[in-house]
Amino acid sequence: MSTPVSYFLVVSAMLFAIGTVGVLVRRNALVIFMSVELQLNAVNLALVAFSRLHGNLNGQVLAFFSMVVAAAEVVVGLAIIVTVYRRRQSASVDDLTVLRG
Amino acid sequence: MGDLLWLVPALPLAGATVMLFGGGRLGRAAGWIATALVAAAFALAVAILLDLLSMPAEARVLVDDVYEWMAAGAFSVDVAFRADPLSITMTLVVTGVGALIHLYAIGYMEHDPRVGRFFAYMNLFVFFMLVLVLADNYLLLYLGWEGVGLCSYLLIGFWFDRPSAASAAKKAFVTTRIGDAAMLLGIALIFITFGSLDFGEVLAPLGAADGATPSSGTFTVISLLLLAGAVGKSAQLPLHVWLPDAMEGPTPVSALIHAATMVTAGVYLVIRSHVLFELSGTALTVVLVVGLLGAIYAALASIGQFDIKRALAYSTMSQIGFMFFAVGMRFYEGAMLLLVCHAFYKALLFLTAGNVLHGLDDETDMRRMGGLRADMPISAVWFGIGALSLAGIPPLAGFFAKDEIVGFAATSGREIAWLLATVGAFMSALYISRPLFLAFFGRRRTERTAHEAPWLMQAPLALLALLTVGGGIVLGLQAEGGRLATFLEPVVGAAEHGEAFLSDAGLIAISVVLAVAAVAIAYWIWASGRVDWQAFPSRQPELAGWLSNAFYVNTLYAWLVQHPGKGFAHVLTSVDDRVIDGAVNEVAEDVGKASRIAPRIQRGFVRTYALGFLLGAVALLLFLGWRG
Repeated sequence: MSTPVSYFLVVSAMLFAIGTVGVLVRRNALVIFMSVELQLNAVNLALVAFSRLHGNLNGQVLAFFSMVVAAAEVVVGLAIIVTVYRRRQSASVDDLTVLRG
Repeated sequence: MGDLLWLVPALPLAGATVMLFGGGRLGRAAGWIATALVAAAFALAVAILLDLLSMPAEARVLVDDVYEWMAAGAFSVDVAFRADPLSITMTLVVTGVGALIHLYAIGYMEHDPRVGRFFAYMNLFVFFMLVLVLADNYLLLYLGWEGVGLCSYLLIGFWFDRPSAASAAKKAFVTTRIGDAAMLLGIALIFITFGSLDFGEVLAPLGAADGATPSSGTFTVISLLLLAGAVGKSAQLPLHVWLPDAMEGPTPVSALIHAATMVTAGVYLVIRSHVLFELSGTALTVVLVVGLLGAIYAALASIGQFDIKRALAYSTMSQIGFMFFAVGMRFYEGAMLLLVCHAFYKALLFLTAGNVLHGLDDETDMRRMGGLRADMPISAVWFGIGALSLAGIPPLAGFFAKDEIVGFAATSGREIAWLLATVGAFMSALYISRPLFLAFFGRRRTERTAHEAPWLMQAPLALLALLTVGGGIVLGLQAEGGRLATFLEPVVGAAEHGEAFLSDAGLIAISVVLAVAAVAIAYWIWASGRVDWQAFPSRQPELAGWLSNAFYVNTLYAWLVQHPGKGFAHVLTSVDDRVIDGAVNEVAEDVGKASRIAPRIQRGFVRTYALGFLLGAVALLLFLGWRG
């Protein structure tokens, strides 16, 4: 038979963990953004894997949705990061503390 | 003429309406219009009087039922006016003396920028006063009663930019309101007892049949409640404190409202309701005692005053005390005679005091007057006539009125009352001669030269002086029982004269001798220069203090009412501040404190938030896993 589902899930979990650690430890907004993408894709992988396991297409459809949303989010997010960089000559998230209470 | 009765109050009402809305544009014409309307009302009243006189004595009642005012079940009140000898006498005094005072006020208020408003209030006052005296039921009377109270308030506080005037107006309104509240209860009780408020239904059957069904206790309660209203409005003990302060108003107001007309409304009310008072003997005794005490108390207080208007105010109170005294003895025609004569000479006295104020730039302190006779000879004559009339010097009006009342006390067998009344009359002569001598005679105590009032102000005074001189002879001469007494007899019944311990001539001699003696003593003390009256307050500070502060009644009321009231208000405000506002403020403060703690976790570091998300998600997963 084909590859067991658990393999996919392990890869997905590892990707998600890497993405999470990336989000938490990196300072550069661009890298954090990429890490978020990694998390999203890890989830997409899990969705497709489950879709296969259950033999219906719901998971795959949801994965497409999430890709579309991610694409849109990338457009907005990158635009914000570029603008912030232009303004402050820095992309470090630790400098962006204007909304501190 | 009966169907034209409504026009009598309607004329001044029209004037008040026109002047309230267009007074500013009318300028000086306002005064003339107001005077003309009151004079027209007077002319109409005279026509009605002639109409009444042409009827047989027992049938002299005209009722003008204008329209149904309100109806609710068994309760129904009409706007109806009643002209009978009693009310037409009052109407003639109100409109006649009122017109003269209006005329005087044209000159007196000439320089006031708000003269239109002044005459609007004056006309409104005359309207309400006419409603009061012409009303054919207690509720309409009460409407007029409250209306004159309102006008009194407006006119005392006419110069409201002076704090003393504003607070005096408030004091008058609140003090009389105490009596008015009692009176309203009395009126309600009348309706409960009789099922009607019309004079015709309430008073007439009682007057005819003496076998009354309601208990005399009910009548006592009704009478005492009505008396409370009368005492408030007529400034008698113990609700008199507002009248001296009311002198803050313009002098024509003091003359019209606080001397000649409104303050006598209480006397009118008691006489109008005399049937009820008679059914309760107690109430009449109370009236007698209140009147006599008030007369003597106010006479003493008047002697202590140096403000000419306040001295006159206490004298008004004293005179009204005499009226109540007469009513308490069931000597209604005597009370009415004094009421009418008093209106003449007290208006004269007040308006002459107005001349003095006018001539001395509003100086009211008699210690800074003296010798004004030289500057204002005509005013001195007017004041002299008024003062001697009040003092009871024959043949002036006051002599007839007061002498009859004091004499009646003797002929009706009330020796102690007669003695007290004689003392009161003696003091009246003393206290009224005092301003005469202090202001117009003696050494001059001011550098200012007074100027005599213009003819426009002297003309009404001349007429009032004429009435003061002749009014007593025309109305009160005992020859055929007194014209006014005979005229009033169908309404109030004939007084029962008895045998006195002295002959009439003896009684008259006593009162005349005492009056002359009082005037002479007053001259010796305050005008001859042989008595150092100015040193009296420093030599007898206690007695002078008691007199000039009118026995500290104001202070007593301050202790009894004002201070506890203020204390209670302080308690209430502190409850409001600490408990009610406190709770709200405490909640707001706590929310504020919390909102200063909450932002501390908002450090602004994106990664901190991300860690929060992660931990939250892990916690959520663990929770779901643990729940199975």
